[in-house]
Amino acid sequence: MAEPLLQVENLRTYFNTPRGTVRAVDGVTFSIDPGETLAIVGESGCGKSMTALSILQLVPEPAGYIESGRILFRGKDLLDLRWDDMKTVRGREIAMIFQEPMTSLNPVFTIGRQLVETLVAHDGEATTGWQRAEELLARVKIDDPRRVLHSYPHELSGGMRQRVMIAMALMNRPALLIADEPTTALDVTVQAEILSLMAELQREFGMAVLLISHDLGIVAEMADHVGVMYAGEIVEIAPAAQLYRSPKHPYTRCLFASLPSRQQRGKDLVTLEGVVPDPANWPPGCRFAARCPDRFAPCPSTHPVLAPVDGAQCARCLLYPAAFPPGVPVQSPEKETVR
Amino acid sequence: MSQAAPALLSVRDLKKYFPIRGGWFQPKKFKRAVDGVSFDIPQGKTLALVGESGSGKSTVGLMILDLLPPTSGDVLYGGRNVVGRRGSDWLAFRREMQVVFQDPYSSLNARMNVGEIVSEGMGIHGIGGTQAERLRLAGELLERVGLPAGAIDRYPHEFSGGQRQRIAIARALSVRPKFIVCDEPTSALDVSVQSQILNLLRKLQREEGLTYLFITHNLGVVEYLADEVCVMENGVIVERGSVETIFDHPQQEYTKRLLSSIPSLDPVHRKIRAAEAVGS
Repeated sequence: MAEPLLQVENLRTYFNTPRGTVRAVDGVTFSIDPGETLAIVGESGCGKSMTALSILQLVPEPAGYIESGRILFRGKDLLDLRWDDMKTVRGREIAMIFQEPMTSLNPVFTIGRQLVETLVAHDGEATTGWQRAEELLARVKIDDPRRVLHSYPHELSGGMRQRVMIAMALMNRPALLIADEPTTALDVTVQAEILSLMAELQREFGMAVLLISHDLGIVAEMADHVGVMYAGEIVEIAPAAQLYRSPKHPYTRCLFASLPSRQQRGKDLVTLEGVVPDPANWPPGCRFAARCPDRFAPCPSTHPVLAPVDGAQCARCLLYPAAFPPGVPVQSPEKETVR
Repeated sequence: MSQAAPALLSVRDLKKYFPIRGGWFQPKKFKRAVDGVSFDIPQGKTLALVGESGSGKSTVGLMILDLLPPTSGDVLYGGRNVVGRRGSDWLAFRREMQVVFQDPYSSLNARMNVGEIVSEGMGIHGIGGTQAERLRLAGELLERVGLPAGAIDRYPHEFSGGQRQRIAIARALSVRPKFIVCDEPTSALDVSVQSQILNLLRKLQREEGLTYLFITHNLGVVEYLADEVCVMENGVIVERGSVETIFDHPQQEYTKRLLSSIPSLDPVHRKIRAAEAVGS
């Protein structure tokens, strides 16, 4: 078994706000093997983007800060690196692409200059840089790469800009690509092209991918492993096929059941009652308890741990005895609520 | 299609050309945003207009609501032409036809409280004799769309995206319309909130016999609630039919491409990413 490329252990990213300390990412643990795709899926405000930004230490300062945890990349903790050393990790070893390709490109420089800049920033040579930039634009299936090198971002469509962002991310052949909602701003046919391009390049470059998405369809297409986040925590993590075949956490089940489809025609869709709890004041027990269709006596007061429930599949839910924290007596729900 | 029921809304050869600026002595050029669109929506049914950005689907919605004058063509509501109406005649159509927009963050006036937002239309159309009566009706509407009783005195920024979309729906319902244009009403929302809004729209259709034009790019939503589907590309309807016809037997290349782009929701049988062994 190869050593994981990235191991995130008990990551906590907090924000100081007038309302108190917001615990946006609250004890997140996962690992990614070389060449593998891990998707983190969840609804807005669950902490998935902040988890991604924390890895590169790009959390908005001064309000946000990494409170504790370890981020081991090839075995060394990125949180111990000096700022300058972290700069060499960003872009060279871990690259990131964002949701909105218009705002992530600089409008006053040409595409070529921005691509080459990423190489020069990491001691590459500008002359070979232009050649590599052109090759990569061709590689991300841009017709006429030479013309695009001399274009400005506003001259390109959304799909073209996202291809440019991917090319830019690949300039230094990173070992890990973090993609935060990479296709959310795109039309569905363009999205399909970008996703298949990403998968193809990932194989070719042997890159690992951390995919952040709210879309269960995209995650199904791309991920080897899937982590589901809710209220700053991973509530379920499993190999993709296993998670989609039999989701174990009630929140994951609700997410699947709330998707509209032809099978649901004429029936009401499953909804979640209530709202996500206040991140400045997480409840003491299970954070999903107030909305959970399967809650029973200990849920509002006992905070479950993320525990294996079926082979490699882990869930943070007291329906499974393994999720009771050490020292808390295990209780079983009424028989009929167990599914 | 083969509906026997008379159409509540008919669109006939609707066109919208936007001039593109050229040189002074060059011939005038036009972007044909909508180029000859026709369809009928029977009373109480839902027609989905699907297509990608730039296909002209939202422009069709705006022309039906008379928020954008068509270059040519007719919009018939209950057999009468909506285009070019003025004064009280125009107002009468406005009362019958309402709209729910995509972004509940920008479609609600931030300086009005929820009671004012929901009762404003009633005042314009003379529903409820007094403002007190209108606010009472607004309170009832808010309850029907699932908002707490205290919502009426609060302002839009105090609500979540899903709650704001409920306010927008209550506002649309306040003048007791028969027809609602829903322009991407759930695309700014999380899936668990989207399902609440879709359930609400279906409930209102059942109870009030509402007719919907649903403009969306979300094909899952279309499969779930449309009675008829029109696929638009470059300003024209390239294919139309029932959900079964369009999704199971698409004829046009564009429709096929659109459908094959939808992710599969099954990691074992992927459509977009080439099939490989996945961990299990």
